Amino acid sequence: MRKFLIAFSFFLIQGISAQELFVVTDPASNVPAGSLGIRLGQSIFKEQMKSGYSYHLMPEVTWGINKNLMVRTSMFVSNRSNQLVTEGASFYTKYRFLSTDDLHSHFRMAAFGRYSFNNADIHQEQIEIMGHNTGFETGIVATQLIKKVAISASVSFEKAFDNKPDYRFPTTQSDNATNYTVSLGRLMYPKKYTNFKQTNINTMLEFVGQTLNENGKSYLDIVPSIQFIVNSQARIDVAYRQELYSSMLRSAPNGFYLNLEYNFFNVSK
Amino acid sequence: MKNINLKFIGIACLFLITSIKSYSQISKAEIIATGLTCSMCSNAINKQLKATVGVDSVSTDLNTNTFTVYFKKESKIMPRVLKEGVEKAGFFIGSLVITVPTENLKIEGDKTISLNGSTFVLLNEELKNSNGETKLKVYDKGYVTQKEHKKLLKTFSKTASYPLDNEDDYHIKTVI
Repeated sequence: MRKFLIAFSFFLIQGISAQELFVVTDPASNVPAGSLGIRLGQSIFKEQMKSGYSYHLMPEVTWGINKNLMVRTSMFVSNRSNQLVTEGASFYTKYRFLSTDDLHSHFRMAAFGRYSFNNADIHQEQIEIMGHNTGFETGIVATQLIKKVAISASVSFEKAFDNKPDYRFPTTQSDNATNYTVSLGRLMYPKKYTNFKQTNINTMLEFVGQTLNENGKSYLDIVPSIQFIVNSQARIDVAYRQELYSSMLRSAPNGFYLNLEYNFFNVSK
Repeated sequence: MKNINLKFIGIACLFLITSIKSYSQISKAEIIATGLTCSMCSNAINKQLKATVGVDSVSTDLNTNTFTVYFKKESKIMPRVLKEGVEKAGFFIGSLVITVPTENLKIEGDKTISLNGSTFVLLNEELKNSNGETKLKVYDKGYVTQKEHKKLLKTFSKTASYPLDNEDDYHIKTVI
């Protein structure tokens, strides 16, 4: 595993061109103003405490309000109650407050916030407002492009509330956490562009971690992914998430993501 | 006397109208965008520019992120509109070179040229015509990289209007 990681990281860093359209994290750059993105996110994760798989479906709509501000709404559907049930939804906004761009590099910073609600049962110590908990998250993200390699990092604070109406947040668990992510991305193909119709292939490596603020329990996951950009307008992501380390109770940490996305440019002025 | 005055006014008006009509337009703009590496990002700029009123067509070199914009006849687009378009897509202009028919470039006192309500201030000597068209590079904030702009503030410290960042004033040099 370690060898694989070193090899993969090296592979990324010596790259010729980079990407920052990460799969499980969001870069500091925003979507274009007036554009509308529609995404169908799916994930299938192996249950650790019982047999079977946990399937989540997450339709999302993203809109660029202006060059610095974007909003996104997501819906959470899962098979946890043995049939597909809509369990909640989420509202997300990101404001880019710093951009220093140069010909071959850029550094950008953005602040983001998310509020989600969910009515599912609370079954793990990990706090995850993307499909599991009611709560909010707020943080900052910085993205740097150096010599065509994109590196993005974020820190955020996440707090969980009761999953109303039926499930209270367990008083024995920490209801707030600090999250941190580091993402690397690289364009694999094409080596040289010829037109907009060319499919781009990107590879990414992301690290996602959380520490529960009240008891110090943590986890760290690695997410390698491959991404296809079709016709400069549609996007397909395939990713695998693997737990590297965890001292907290998690119901299904390992599994696959499959995201399909389509962007409409200039929907509004 | 009155008659002569009227005639004079009439001729003056006619002159004004025709001169407004021949108010020149930029025929072509070459934009190099910065800070992007993906064709989807380029496409965002491409679509934004294409959707701009007065733009006829856009051709893109994805490897250099160069967008060549051609304008419709009678379009009065000024560089500001192009800058706003690129920034709406989430990026910045690193270089902008506009092509203007040389006949439309009449230097007034103090090395300035008026074009469709905007003022172009010449930063170098004379206009050099080439095939009836002149290429002009814009040096203002937002049309060069941030690093370049910092240096240019020193270089052009003698040009009083340069640091003002008035969005309808453009500081230009001719390009051969």
